[in-house]
Order: sequence, then structure tokens, then C-alpha cells
Amino acid sequence: MNFAESFRQNFIEADRWRYLWDGLCTTLLITALAVCLGMILGFLVAIIRSTYLRTHKLLIPDLICRLYLTVIRGTPVVVQLLIIYFVIFASVPISKTFVAVIAFGINSGAYVAEIVRGGIMSIDVGQLEAGRSLGLNYTQTMAYIIMPQAFKNVLPALANEAIVLLKETSVAGYIAIADLTKGGDIIRSQTFSAFLPLLAVAAIYLVMVVVLTRLVGRLERRLAANDRR
Amino acid sequence: MMRKIAACISAAAMAALLLTGCGSNLKNTVHSIDDLKGKTIGVQLGTTGDTLAGDIEDATVEKYNKAADGVQALKQGKIDAVIVDLETAKSFTEVNQDIQILDEEFADEEYAIAVKLGNTALQTKLNEALDALTQDGTLQRIKDNYEGDKKGQYPYVVRQDLSRSKGKIVMATNAEFPPYEERQGGEIVGFDVDMMNAVCDYLNYELLIEDMAFDSVIPAVQSGKADVGVAGLSVTPDREKNVLFTNNYAVTHQVVIVRK
Repeated sequence: MNFAESFRQNFIEADRWRYLWDGLCTTLLITALAVCLGMILGFLVAIIRSTYLRTHKLLIPDLICRLYLTVIRGTPVVVQLLIIYFVIFASVPISKTFVAVIAFGINSGAYVAEIVRGGIMSIDVGQLEAGRSLGLNYTQTMAYIIMPQAFKNVLPALANEAIVLLKETSVAGYIAIADLTKGGDIIRSQTFSAFLPLLAVAAIYLVMVVVLTRLVGRLERRLAANDRR
Repeated sequence: MMRKIAACISAAAMAALLLTGCGSNLKNTVHSIDDLKGKTIGVQLGTTGDTLAGDIEDATVEKYNKAADGVQALKQGKIDAVIVDLETAKSFTEVNQDIQILDEEFADEEYAIAVKLGNTALQTKLNEALDALTQDGTLQRIKDNYEGDKKGQYPYVVRQDLSRSKGKIVMATNAEFPPYEERQGGEIVGFDVDMMNAVCDYLNYELLIEDMAFDSVIPAVQSGKADVGVAGLSVTPDREKNVLFTNNYAVTHQVVIVRK
């Protein structure tokens, strides 16, 4: 079978390209929503953790956050996905995409939390003391002095976390979600050829990651523009 | 501190239990193959059940990596039915009291061993072995060991007195498909395994088993990573374009599993 024929069989015949296209849309949807959920969770956890580390307040929330970080970072995302689908939402009729968003969001949140906490802790403690001595309370100091600087420092790392998440969603097929990877698998199961479907899937991921990496690079340069170093 | 962590864990466990407990009233909505129209059907990716489900009007097909995951989803009410091979369906319903097999069945299918296109030498040898094992009743005994009244009475014993001088046959399979192949205590067992052991004993080959995803079995044979694909593979026109099949060694059909 020559290349053109194989291409026709894998993508054109029976509209098989639709598996990739629909899969791509699903992958992007899951990634986008999971990134949002992960950011919200991550910032919350990071603020609680850094508040405890700096002021020794919020002991109980800090313990819960540490448990969350340990469990989520200590177990593979596939296992978490299966637990959420088959154990936590066992007999609840629920959209699988929603399950995936929750699973990947919770997973990503743990990594985002450590990135953001690193960013907050990287701001010299003297800035906190200065804010407080000027009469701002702790929340105001965090909101107006610490967070803006920390956010700028961690933005590139956060964007990279989003890129990693995009690739991690490739295990969504375990709960029968037809994402991009599964789309390729479906084509493979129908045409029994591994070469083109797998390369096509890999190429689509690669293009998305390259584009996102470019955007992150541009963002980094923009952020660096007003740094006097 | 330990006590607080323990409290957190038990709170989380209780929350999970609460969620698991609700919505246990799951009624069956599928009573015949016709009823499958417009329903959500679980299948294992790349199986003939997958193809059949794809032909049903307006049905949503959930393609799981394992048939067992589909059954799990069925029990939890996430899908309405599962289409799977009869013997596998029986193994599932034996251990799950809350599901049943519909009386109405799809058309007959034949299981055969897949070899690489063009490898007629191996195909001929395998056919010869299958014929001989059918003649002397070995194949029937292996079959009886896995289904019917005499289940478990004829376990196939691999012969130890052979030189295995012909080399080895690598068998690609997907050990998620009882009773044809499944893992028991780290070992892959089942009808297909016993049959291939008997075939290799007859031909004086050594058998090596490679466990992989079902939709990888045929590509593994095509690419030469495995010599034979034996995974309850039904002969279909699509598959025949990609691999060579031996004579059939079992006849089966697809059935529908639903909740009780």
C-alpha cells in the first residue's frame, strides 16, 4: 500500500479525519477548563500554604492542603481519573468530560500550588514587613505588594504547566472519552495501520505545544521588558 | 497532628461514601436489540461489538479499552448496554448478579488465529495442527474445560518431554477477555492459551505470550512483533485485508449485556 492510498484509507475514507478533529476539540476543551480549575485551586492552596509558612496561622487548612498535595502528587493521574470516574462518581450519571475536567484540574492544581508558593516565597520577607509597617494589613500587603511580583515571576512556569497538562489529557481515553489520542486509536482499530494515525496525532500535539511555547516565550519577553537588571 | 490527618481522611472517605450511595435505582431500558436505537452502548475498542454498535441508529458508542470497564460503567448506570462476545459475557454475568444477557443475539462469528499476510507456511502448519487436535478430541476437551457441565475437568497440561527444536512462536493476546484469555495469579490462562499450547506441543514449538491492548494485537502481527494473534479474534472482511487467518477454532456471537 503506497502513502497516498494509506492516507486516503486512514483519514479520508468513512470521514475518519473527524475522529481526529472531534478528538482535538475535546482535548482542547478539557485542557482549557482543567487549566482554569487548576489555577483557582492552585492559587488558593498556595496562599494558604504561604500564609501558614510566613505567619503560622491557618494550621488546619494548611494540613488539608498538604494532604492534598501529597496524595495528588504521589499518585499517577490515570489512577486519579479512574478513581474519580469509577469510585467517587460511581453511580452518578455524569458527563465524562466533566469528570476529566475535575480530575485533570485537581491534578494540575497541586503542581500549580507549588509553583505559586515558590513564587510567593521568593519575594523577600522584608517586603511583607515593609508593607505591614506602612500600615497595610496582611491581606492588603499580599494583594498589593507580594502577589503582583510573585505572579510575574511564576507566569512562565504556569504557562508551562498548562502545556504539560495538554499532553497529560491524552490518558482521558481510559474512561472512553474520545480525545485526540483516542481518536487516533479508533482509526488504528479500524484500519489496522499504526503509522499514519499515530504520526498524525503526534504531529497535532507537537504543533499545539510549539505554538503555546512560542506564546509563552513572547509573554516572558514582554514581562522582562520593564525589568531593570 | 496524626489525629487531625486521620480526621481529614475519614471525612473524605465519608464524603465519597455519600456520593456512592445515591442514585442506586437503575432501571434497565433495553429489552431487545431493537431497543438499542438511540441508547448509549459500551464496547471494547476495535472488537466486532464496536463495529456492530456503530451500525445501530442514533446510538452513542462508548469505546472502552477493556470490556470489563464497559461492564463497570453499565452497572453504575453510565451506559445502557454492553455488546461483547457470548462467552466473555457469561464470565461477566457469573460474577455480577445485577446484570444479564439478552436472549436475542447477533449473527454467528468465527474465531481464528491471525498470522502475517503472506506467511502461508505458518498458516498451513497451524491449520494442520488444528485439524489434528480436532480429530483426536483435544480441542473439544479444552473447550469443555471452559464451558458447559464439565467445566474445569480437563485442564490442558503442557508436555515437558519435547525438545522444542522448531524454535518459538510469539503469541499476541489481550488478557482481558475471559474465558479466552485472562490473568490469574500473574499467569495468562484461558481457552486460547491452552489451545496454542496444544498447537505448539503438536508442532514442537515453544510458546511465548505477549499481553497487549486488544487494538494492538493485529498491528503486532502485521509488524512481525508477534508471529500469531490469538485473542478471540473474529474473522471479518476488514481484518482479512490486514492479516491471514487460519481455519476457525471456535464459533461464537455477540450478545447484549444489560442491567437486571
